Amino acid sequence: MQKIVEVKNIEKIYGKADEKQYKALSDVNFDVEPGEFVGIMGASGSGKTTLLNILSTLDTPTSGQVQISGQDITKLNTNEMADFRANKIGFIFQDFNLLENLTAYENIALPLALQNTSSKKIDPAVMSISKKLGLTDILNHYPTELSGGQKQRVAAARALVHDPSIVFGDEPTGALDSKSARALLDTMSKINHEDNVSILLVTHDPFSASYCDRIIFIKDGEIGQELKKEDHTRGEFYQEILDSLGTFAD
Amino acid sequence: MLNKLALSGIKHRMRDYSVLFSGLIIASAIFYMFMSLATNSSFLNANSPAAATSFIYGFGAVLLAIITIVYINYANGFLLSMRQKEYGMFMMLGAKSSKISRMIFVETFTIGAIATLIGTVIGIVATGFVSQLIIKSLDMQVKHFNSFYVPALLSTFAFFIVIFIFSALKNSISLRLTKVLTLLHMDSQPVRIKKNKFLKAFQVILGIVFLAIGYTAIIMMGHNPVLIYLGVPVALFTIVIGTYFMINAVITTVITALKKNKKFAQKGLNNFTLSQLSFRISDYTKILSMVSIMFALALGAITVGMGFQNQISTVVNGQAYYDVTVNNINDAQQERIDKLNVKEETTYAYKFKDDTIYYQSDEFEKVPFKYQKFNMKSMVGETASTKKPKDDASYELLNNNLPRYRTAKVEMVDKNKFDTINAKANSLTLVKTDSFKQNLTQIKKINQAEQKRFPELKQAGASKYDSYLLINGFFSGLEFMGLFLGIAFLAMLASCLMFKILSGASSDVKRYNMLYKIGTRTKVLRSNINKEIAVLFAVPAGLGIIHVLIGLQMFSKILIKPYMNIEIPFGIFIVLYLGYYFVTRYLYKKIVLK
Repeated sequence: MQKIVEVKNIEKIYGKADEKQYKALSDVNFDVEPGEFVGIMGASGSGKTTLLNILSTLDTPTSGQVQISGQDITKLNTNEMADFRANKIGFIFQDFNLLENLTAYENIALPLALQNTSSKKIDPAVMSISKKLGLTDILNHYPTELSGGQKQRVAAARALVHDPSIVFGDEPTGALDSKSARALLDTMSKINHEDNVSILLVTHDPFSASYCDRIIFIKDGEIGQELKKEDHTRGEFYQEILDSLGTFAD
Repeated sequence: MLNKLALSGIKHRMRDYSVLFSGLIIASAIFYMFMSLATNSSFLNANSPAAATSFIYGFGAVLLAIITIVYINYANGFLLSMRQKEYGMFMMLGAKSSKISRMIFVETFTIGAIATLIGTVIGIVATGFVSQLIIKSLDMQVKHFNSFYVPALLSTFAFFIVIFIFSALKNSISLRLTKVLTLLHMDSQPVRIKKNKFLKAFQVILGIVFLAIGYTAIIMMGHNPVLIYLGVPVALFTIVIGTYFMINAVITTVITALKKNKKFAQKGLNNFTLSQLSFRISDYTKILSMVSIMFALALGAITVGMGFQNQISTVVNGQAYYDVTVNNINDAQQERIDKLNVKEETTYAYKFKDDTIYYQSDEFEKVPFKYQKFNMKSMVGETASTKKPKDDASYELLNNNLPRYRTAKVEMVDKNKFDTINAKANSLTLVKTDSFKQNLTQIKKINQAEQKRFPELKQAGASKYDSYLLINGFFSGLEFMGLFLGIAFLAMLASCLMFKILSGASSDVKRYNMLYKIGTRTKVLRSNINKEIAVLFAVPAGLGIIHVLIGLQMFSKILIKPYMNIEIPFGIFIVLYLGYYFVTRYLYKKIVLK
């Protein structure tokens, strides 16, 4: 079966050749299988945001190859990159990034509208994902009228509405209270299981990470160890993550 | 230390500040330019045929002052919006609010003072330059005009110092009253929109009623110029309010309707554009209605000014049909005539005897004499031709001749009789060119040569060129004012709109960044920005054009054809306005799409 994400020997160096250079990523390799829920953990400055930016075509690697659904995204031009993001990727950001002058419905419909999907098809798609995420009652509200948890669920719906190959989450629970965070993670894991949606989560929060199937630890731009949940319960996995964080930090 | 920090903050934002700074400079330059006209009563009196001009100018000065205050208010808001986050940070770090407010007072006032100083200098230079340009290009005669005029200088300084003291106070007070946290998170403060269908419908009706009153007042003024003193304020008041409601209610209703049309709304970024606009419009209502009024005033001023210019040709052409008349033509004059773009050239022979001037009737049979006949119904002169000149025609025929014959009696005789008259045979050559204006320089030469040949012409005047000089001098002053006022208002209004749009730009950075992230092509983002700004520019322009088209009715008694050649001022105006549109969208994109 084709892998969703294939990262080979990625390197990212900031600064020009004649200036002082900083290596943000060096020799990063990993894969994501279809339907996998992968977490990337690391402290701030470890390079996880750089990695996410490269995976989502917002940044390009200095060398190396990234394939998403079999397509090499490092060789795309700017327009192709934009189209790729619009078609293949769903985003959930820490600060929601909803457009506050659009209603929840309009925010969710935006990726479809961007792909020039006909309005006949937009409505059922928005309704179906909203139902799944329990948003049907708040679709006509503006983001300022919603709670943090609701906003993030709207953002999740926006990330999922166009059936992307993979959903990238950048600290999606970072701005949420613990109850809303738990609800969001439950939803994400439910969608992951039921609809077989691949999810890649970047976080430094062990609790969020414990929802993942597999965790890749990154430190100073290099991949360290990997943890797999396998048959563990979430509680056990959480403990395991904490333990590895303790040793990994050394 | 804080001052140093504040200064370094300015340095970092030099580009934003340069926009603000140049805007303020333009404002004070324009104010000075206008004042150099408005405070110069000898100029006004010498150049205006209408007694109401002083009044109109006074009114213009008041308007300009109001506009300038509003404008500075926007520029000031722009300044504050750039700085508040920084000030919030200083306060968070422990700076006392009294110190911060003193700092912002000094900053606002200094920027204002420097801008005014530079602005007036530019104003003086620009006044000289622009007036020379207008005077030369239009062959105008403007008396008593001085680009450096002390009363104008003083009033400009006084006006701007007062405004800047107030805005500096306003800034420091509003900063003192705002919480540190609000300052720090200014960008993310939510904007709520109010939706009330009943109120909207009421506003639409109110808007239409007010506009109707205003337009009626204008049309009534056109029929009876005495009403002008009452009519102008009434029209201004009602049209301003009407415009406000129209923009607020009608435009948002249109946008809501468009949003309901799912086919349209759910295509690409249309929904986003519409939402941006509906948020903007309710926030922009005040400035958009102000801009549309100013647009109308500016365009109106230019149109009326140009109308006076057209008037010159119309009035001059109404004086006489033939552009050039030459007596007993010689080779030198014939040579000059040949250089004209001649449409018709006729020579009539005549003899003068016993207070009677004899023409050959067969010559008139062959080429009838053309003259301007005054139509009592349309109040406009019409071209007519006759084989037997009588009344108007004979009067114009005499006027074409030398002054010594002008009181004579005209008689048409056949060739045989003409030959028997015992007097010297003379000839009168009449030339009609394709355009009096375009052949003006050559006509002037012929006229001067003719005056040399017949010195009596010098005192009597009455040639078509002489009437042109007289009429041109009369209307030039009015035209000059119209153009000057129009361009001044335009520059002001467009930069007001520009500032308002640009001060909103920083809060859009995040939105566009997000759209980019979820996969919108940069090209799409650009065209979206273009569309959005285009609507914001087009709404006031559209309303303004309607205001002008109706407003011109006011001049139906003063101008013979108020709508003649209207496309020229409209064209000039739209080109200038488009220029502002392009600058705005360029700057906006520079801020938003990094």
